[in-house]
Amino acid sequence: MKTKSILAILTSLVATAVFAADSPPVGSAAPDFSATDSKGKTHSLSQYKGKYVVLEWFNPECPFVKKHYGSSNMQKLQQEYTSKGIVWLSVDSSAPGTEGNLTPDQAEKITGEWKAKPTALLLDQDGKVGQAYGAKNTPHMVVINPEGKIVYEGAIDSKATPNPGDIPSSTNYVKVALDESLAGKPVSTAQTKPYGCSVKYKK
Amino acid sequence: MKEQVARPFWAEIARCCDLWPVLPSSMRFGRRYLSAWTLSLSVLALTAPIQAQVYEGRQLVAASLVADTNAIVPGKAFTAGLLLRMVPGWHTYWKFSGDAGIPIELKWQLPPGWKTGELKWPVPMKFNDPGDIQTYGYRDEVLLMQEITPPPSVKDSKVKLSAEANWLVCEKICVPGSASLNLELPSSTSSVPANAQLFARFQRSLPQSWPGADTATLHWTRADKDLRLTITSASLAKHPFADFYPLPPTGVVVGHPKLESRSGNETTFGIPLESAPQNQLSMQGLVVFGQRPDGDDRIAWQLPEAVAAASSNTNLAPERGLFTFLLFGFIGGLILNLMPCVLPVISLKIFGFIQHAGQDRHKILRSGLAFTAGIFAWFIGLALLLIVLKNAGHQITWAFQFTNPYFVLFMSVVVLIFALNLFGVFEISLPQNATRGLLGITASEGDAGSFFQGVFATILATPCTAPYLGTALGFAFSQSALIILSMFVAIAAGMSAPYLLLCVQPAWMRFLPKPGPWMEHIKQFMGFLLLATLLFLLYVLGAQRGLEAVTWTGCFLLVVSIVCWMQGAFITPSASTKARIVTVVLMSILSLASAWYFIGDKFRSSKTAVGGLSLEGDWQAFTPERLQAELAQSHNVFVDFTAAWCITCKFNEASVLETAVVREAFQRHGVVKLRADWTNGDPVITKLLQQFGRPGVPLYVLYRGKAEEPVVFPELLTKSIILDKLETISRSVASQ
Repeated sequence: MKTKSILAILTSLVATAVFAADSPPVGSAAPDFSATDSKGKTHSLSQYKGKYVVLEWFNPECPFVKKHYGSSNMQKLQQEYTSKGIVWLSVDSSAPGTEGNLTPDQAEKITGEWKAKPTALLLDQDGKVGQAYGAKNTPHMVVINPEGKIVYEGAIDSKATPNPGDIPSSTNYVKVALDESLAGKPVSTAQTKPYGCSVKYKK
Repeated sequence: MKEQVARPFWAEIARCCDLWPVLPSSMRFGRRYLSAWTLSLSVLALTAPIQAQVYEGRQLVAASLVADTNAIVPGKAFTAGLLLRMVPGWHTYWKFSGDAGIPIELKWQLPPGWKTGELKWPVPMKFNDPGDIQTYGYRDEVLLMQEITPPPSVKDSKVKLSAEANWLVCEKICVPGSASLNLELPSSTSSVPANAQLFARFQRSLPQSWPGADTATLHWTRADKDLRLTITSASLAKHPFADFYPLPPTGVVVGHPKLESRSGNETTFGIPLESAPQNQLSMQGLVVFGQRPDGDDRIAWQLPEAVAAASSNTNLAPERGLFTFLLFGFIGGLILNLMPCVLPVISLKIFGFIQHAGQDRHKILRSGLAFTAGIFAWFIGLALLLIVLKNAGHQITWAFQFTNPYFVLFMSVVVLIFALNLFGVFEISLPQNATRGLLGITASEGDAGSFFQGVFATILATPCTAPYLGTALGFAFSQSALIILSMFVAIAAGMSAPYLLLCVQPAWMRFLPKPGPWMEHIKQFMGFLLLATLLFLLYVLGAQRGLEAVTWTGCFLLVVSIVCWMQGAFITPSASTKARIVTVVLMSILSLASAWYFIGDKFRSSKTAVGGLSLEGDWQAFTPERLQAELAQSHNVFVDFTAAWCITCKFNEASVLETAVVREAFQRHGVVKLRADWTNGDPVITKLLQQFGRPGVPLYVLYRGKAEEPVVFPELLTKSIILDKLETISRSVASQ
């Protein structure tokens, strides 16, 4: 009987070791960039060192972007976190002649009409910022910590649909990542598959 | 024919959520009647009304339900489907949409008692958009098919089948669409096929099931963040175009699969994982090939079910951090000291400490450190060997040496000689003697001697460590080189921890008992532990080569014992040189002659035992054909992959599988139990283990008919894991 219990302990040790697996950290340094916003002001990532930065890929014509703006979900997030000193940069990487490409005037207008509250709306017509982050969807979300490391990238929330009715019952990954980071905790879900329209890069 | 109007999806969202101010006016969907274009299409469906998705005055998608029958016959399965027709240039998405997009969704609302099968998706096209965006989907037209089985009795003369469909249709921009669709069919005692051409065309565009091993075999490896899939197939190799369309499970973010190399019949795909658990060792998906990437002649093979199942053990396995993992390695190493084959070596070392307790501390420290270095050297060497082999692309398994009977035989001889030494049959301490001989060291307390004692202790531990560490190392094997090395270092640290402590803190040696005659008794007792190890090895040999092989091994071991006794009895310091020479000659003749006769002749000619493990109770021998036959009869099948030398397997069998409650549960749920015996390293079973991403046994799999993915259980079974799973399968059967 005793041998059996020893054997049980041994085997359970082996089994535990077998199933031990660590989740890969996102953790890499966020690539620096420099881009002009709708007001003509230049923003670079390095100027925000020491602050949390949220990047949000934006295309006002995309139904998935509309899902989150039409329901005021995105504006509330922007309001909540910019008031906590977090830098929120919306990025429009649509190339000229494609859906969602905005002139500075159009960008200002839509920000006003939609009551959007980002720190700035960057106009990334040549897609450089988008390519540097491998952004393929609108919305695609990235959270960068004060040390300049990526702590979250992926979808805005857990329900990949264009239906705003799904927002209340979904988990907002960006909110979770920011709240956990601000509380000094590691981000529990650090990477997800983003969903939405494709970013309309230049050919 | 009744005309239906498009349900304005956007209008509905907008109404419920006050979206109007945000939407540009062009997005508002008016109620529109069918255009002439849709009317021309609707001829095709029997009674199915078509719904149109209209955007900015343009109809983008026409959706309808179609069936392959003109009437519903109670109890007789038929195929129905969602037909989407897209305007030129626009596309909808496959079940894995790729970098962007959303898969088409179809939800049937059927009357109670109606059953649906799996939704069948035609092989999609791969689209490349600017900015390295890859998506999978359908242009022009797609039919998603699903088998529907009506109950044995249908009361109404007309049956209305309803379904909700959602999709995203994209060109340069994306527009979501949705429809509530109906299909009305009369119920009748007989039926004739309908829409035959349409269904036949889309049947042909479905992926084929994986061909037999004679046509194609596949092999998965994982290197850090990449999965690599190698397919050996002549039929695949002769097509210029080949691609892998992935179907990642939830929670896994996959990069763009690439065709890495094609040489001879081998085609290799690299599948980068952007985010995935470490135990993601394979992935479901389609292997697509043909003359051109967009050709009509494309063929797609669905990867076999078993491969996809390799990742499903994620559900049952708790995830742990690297630190916990290393801690268990350390504790595991510590426990190794208590193993019956290691304990004797270790106790000799401790006795060394005791005897020299009064001596120079530096000397003790150095000898202890050298011993520890020996342990580390062996484990690190082993780790490096494994890493090199792994990087060279070898699929080797740690416990695999146990499938070789000569290895087991060799270990038996080593263990016996050491036991005889402990009994005092011959006096010279074998390890020191062996190492002295090896290095020509004369000083009995040489550091090199201690070093090789450490190495020897670890080598001798192999019969215990192989089955014990095999599974753990198998896991480490799927990790990066650094983790493999860390794991081995942790085990070595655990194993040597007691000696390191004693060396560094020699003061603690006073806690050790004083030397005395009791040490001799302990030594002799340790000899019996080794004999117990020997019994285990003989049992393994018996399972591998049968009774005859064990008998001949026994004969050889007897002669080995006599040779050892001669060494002890006649090669004494007082013996004359002549007597020594005669003894050595006799010993050599005896050893060589018995090795030649018993092993080279008799043992070698013993046949590989068929079904080495006896099949007790209601277990039946596993063969792939047998498994297929049982599955064809829709039986649930539990397969126990085991081996005579696998201690974990034995433990699981005794503590879980063979208990009355589990046996009874298997019987109650009508599960067929097959036992796959890997004692001899059967290549058919090896291939299957590899398909499940396992380097060795144990492996426990529950197959539920042909359609469902098999369930993989963890290496360490508990009664509740088995009982719970059996409950769930019987529930899911009952609810159908």
